[in-house]
Amino acid sequence: MTSPAATSTVIRARVNGRDVEMLVPVRLTVADLLRERLGLTGTKVSCEMQVCGACTVLMDGDPISSCTALACDLDGAEVLTVEGLARGRDLHPVQEAFMAANALQCGFCTPGFIMMAVALLDACPDAGPEEIREWMDGNLCRCTGYAPIETAVTLAASRLAAAAVEDGQ
Amino acid sequence: MAVLPELGLVRSGDLDEVLATVDSDHAPYAGGTELVPAMGLGLRRPEAIVDLKRVEALQGIVVDAEFGTATIGAAVTHRRLSDHPAVREHLPTLAAAASRVGNARVRSTGTVGGNLCFAEPRSDLGCVLLALGATAEVRSAEGTRTTSIDELIVGAFETSLTENEILASVTVPFEPPGMSYWKLQSYERPTLGVALVVTEDQWQVTVGAATERPTRAVLAAGDAAGLAAFVDRLEFSDDMTGPPDYKRSVLRAHLGRTLGAAP
Repeated sequence: MTSPAATSTVIRARVNGRDVEMLVPVRLTVADLLRERLGLTGTKVSCEMQVCGACTVLMDGDPISSCTALACDLDGAEVLTVEGLARGRDLHPVQEAFMAANALQCGFCTPGFIMMAVALLDACPDAGPEEIREWMDGNLCRCTGYAPIETAVTLAASRLAAAAVEDGQ
Repeated sequence: MAVLPELGLVRSGDLDEVLATVDSDHAPYAGGTELVPAMGLGLRRPEAIVDLKRVEALQGIVVDAEFGTATIGAAVTHRRLSDHPAVREHLPTLAAAASRVGNARVRSTGTVGGNLCFAEPRSDLGCVLLALGATAEVRSAEGTRTTSIDELIVGAFETSLTENEILASVTVPFEPPGMSYWKLQSYERPTLGVALVVTEDQWQVTVGAATERPTRAVLAAGDAAGLAAFVDRLEFSDDMTGPPDYKRSVLRAHLGRTLGAAP
């Protein structure tokens, strides 16, 4: 390479169903893109080490730590954040289940937990306690309300399964 | 929020172009699960990252049933590895270990090559791949060389790769009968990993995570003295997950339980 590498790049992505085309610095993280440039502050940033899960969003359906993923990698990708779950005033079944099970206290970790639960139930609709713990153990709740969170994910799984049966799937 | 320093991007689908670019200032980049936090902490300061993810040749999983091997591209994620039907069939222990690396987010972005090249001692894949006798294909603009996992990982956060080389793939012989992998883990990374291949006449013991690099011993079945000598020889690391004596005790207890011979 003779010329220095470009320090910004154009990305075309779909964020919560909306097409986005932006010039982004290579050093910009997905979390900063979402929070600072797109105003999607539902995604939280905490440990910045991929340990706590507060920043979890879905990229092409897979959960990622947006705090340490680079926005330049979003070119051609579909991104889903907690803001993209509800349909109008209708909350997503996972959001409903978190409310029903009182699965939050301060709420800071909640968007991350909800996105991880959505990823889990998309990949593994019949998730049992083992899968739920395996997938959710990468998210931390400093209020330590883990039992209601597990209840909420179990509840969401059963509601989604019932809805799928009703839809004749 | 930590802001990364100014950073360049080299992105190409062409392996030769990538190989011509990689050097000490142009860091190979795939999942970013280790590199991005390291840059955030100022531990790595490359001028540019060289994206390997769009190079087709680094993405495949090729199974050769005739030779009984699977060749895994360096940019294959843990999730893709653990979900791959042929890997699950022929390398079930590797698939299971990959399915439990880090957390679900790390598994969807982190890659096999990144895991090996970062050479974090507390890793599952290094231990399991060493136990399986995997070989690594290393590429540079000058050519290709093949190396064992033992020669690839030389120490904590240290590989034998030069700054112009990248790991292209690992080729793994199908799992032998009698293989298992067990780990002790409280947080994101294993404290101790033990891969065993136990046959009627041989004990093959590979210990990872608790030492600077995974270490393998091949013993005659029932060689309790040899096993004890191997465990005594290991230099366990002293870190947040526990002092060396603790790790040695856990290893002894595990080997005693699984091999029926307390070392």
